[in-house]
Amino acid sequence: MENEAIQLEKQHVHSVYEKTAPYLSDLRCKAWPRVKQFLLDQEPGSLIADIGCGTGKYLSVNSLIYNLGCDYCSPLVEKARKQGHEVLVCDNLQLPFRDQVFNAVISIGVIHHFSTKERRIRAIREIARTIIPGGMVMIYAWALEQKRRRFEKQDVFVPWNKALCSRNPSESGENTSKDKPVDIHPTVYSEEYRWINALRKEISTKRSYSLGSCISVGRCCIKNPEQENRFYSGLGKSLRSWFFSKSLDESSMKKHIEKMKPLRSSEGWIDNAVLVQPSRHFSIDLGHGGSLLNGQSFEEDDVFVETTNYKEAQWWKATGTLREINGGHQTVVHRKNGPVNGEQYKPTVNGTNDLNSVSNRIFRRTSTLDSTDSILDEIDVEDEQDNLVDTKDFMRYYHVFKEGELSHLIEENVNELSIVSSCFDHGNWCVIAKRKTPGVSAL
Amino acid sequence: MKLLTHNMLTSHVKGVTCGYPLLIQATEVKLNDVDFNAEFVARMIPKMEWSALVGAADSLGHLNDLPKDLVSDYENNEDFLRKVHHILLEVEVLEGTLKCPESGEFPVSKGVPNMLLNEDRVLRHPKTWIGLGCVSVCVVM
Repeated sequence: MENEAIQLEKQHVHSVYEKTAPYLSDLRCKAWPRVKQFLLDQEPGSLIADIGCGTGKYLSVNSLIYNLGCDYCSPLVEKARKQGHEVLVCDNLQLPFRDQVFNAVISIGVIHHFSTKERRIRAIREIARTIIPGGMVMIYAWALEQKRRRFEKQDVFVPWNKALCSRNPSESGENTSKDKPVDIHPTVYSEEYRWINALRKEISTKRSYSLGSCISVGRCCIKNPEQENRFYSGLGKSLRSWFFSKSLDESSMKKHIEKMKPLRSSEGWIDNAVLVQPSRHFSIDLGHGGSLLNGQSFEEDDVFVETTNYKEAQWWKATGTLREINGGHQTVVHRKNGPVNGEQYKPTVNGTNDLNSVSNRIFRRTSTLDSTDSILDEIDVEDEQDNLVDTKDFMRYYHVFKEGELSHLIEENVNELSIVSSCFDHGNWCVIAKRKTPGVSAL
Repeated sequence: MKLLTHNMLTSHVKGVTCGYPLLIQATEVKLNDVDFNAEFVARMIPKMEWSALVGAADSLGHLNDLPKDLVSDYENNEDFLRKVHHILLEVEVLEGTLKCPESGEFPVSKGVPNMLLNEDRVLRHPKTWIGLGCVSVCVVM
């Protein structure tokens, strides 16, 4: 599973950060008060590391300590460097530091990018190794439980939305966030439209009827590489659906690796169909439909393997209830032809004929921040045939943590650390732990 | 890369028994002016591997008669602290390589060391490596 995990992270963490680095602005992601306070609480003359520092927003919080930042992503590290920070490029799993050098370490929004439990443990253990006895670590990782929504599964692919970024890549160093509203990038419209069109053409051909039972926005039913490519090529940058996958840990990888073969549009649904859950959430049972992940030709994708086929009934059952749970209001989406009046909704298709009824409508979502809610709005689309940037590479992988999971992970697996505190902050579980002193029992 | 940072860096290649300290082969070094804070320096000194620090400074030609052994009661020795301050914080390697005595080398570019071990990173065979400051030169047969 290690290779699969490495591949997944390469494609859906490292590659995405590298490509989106030019667009990242610190202003979009403000330094969180709790983290700042943790840094300010460190004694003057302390040696602190920010493992996964990104553009280095935490490196200038406390000038009385020595702040060292590191990140896997070179472009981000370069940005931090330009701000005058002391930074380096490295791998959290193989930190190039001697043992017990740091008084404190922060790991903000990093651990959730490791795709297996084992790798998450290794990352935390590596961090612990570099902390002096009595030193502290603060870890932030995305929470399953968000304020206004709840991830249905713990392994998520999050599309990146360029429209949320305040900065034009060519305007490095400038602050344009005031001017740009959080809005959909105009290219989104045509991109999604093109994709809808492609699916319509599919339906009108002699494809198996199971394709026709796609949800009209089509984020599902990938049965062969061509469909999957179209699917990905149609994903607008504004797509804010969450794609869920089976955790790599859940999958019985080894016994299926030998059986891995290209997808065929054969009978029934194969396991890489998307299970639609609450309307904002799309579940891709990757199990081993790895081609869904990277959007490339399936032959290149040897990360995931097939498991048993889902029966169609299972699929329908999964898609049968599209119930949007959104804090205050609920929208029930019915599987019927044609749009539901007015409300935010996501139509489903029952059989082969519903796509036409929503043919000129596509749905866009707006997001506030990439880790929070999205609202589904309906827009009309002009017929555009623009050639758009392929966004298939911009899906970031996250393992979102349940309440208590991060603490438990540390308690059970990282003997060097003892938990000091745990809380929920900014959609993350925040855990502070202390490196144990040898010979002294855990505090 | 400041020498304070360098002092913490080690090769993390598996199987390497002595990946520390990394030897610096610098092609571009910069000197900065950094505000002197005696307390800061005094607190940093115990965290340093002193001989590695001295070796690194020496290899860059910036030892500046810093003692090879740590003086006692350095906390109150401002002259000493200023020398240490200079080495830790004011000498910066912008371009060069960090070489592990046993395994690979890591580039430093624009002041940023890249400590990743990728497949495309070729590890030099130890016998072909000529280290900076090495007394003897090892040549592969």
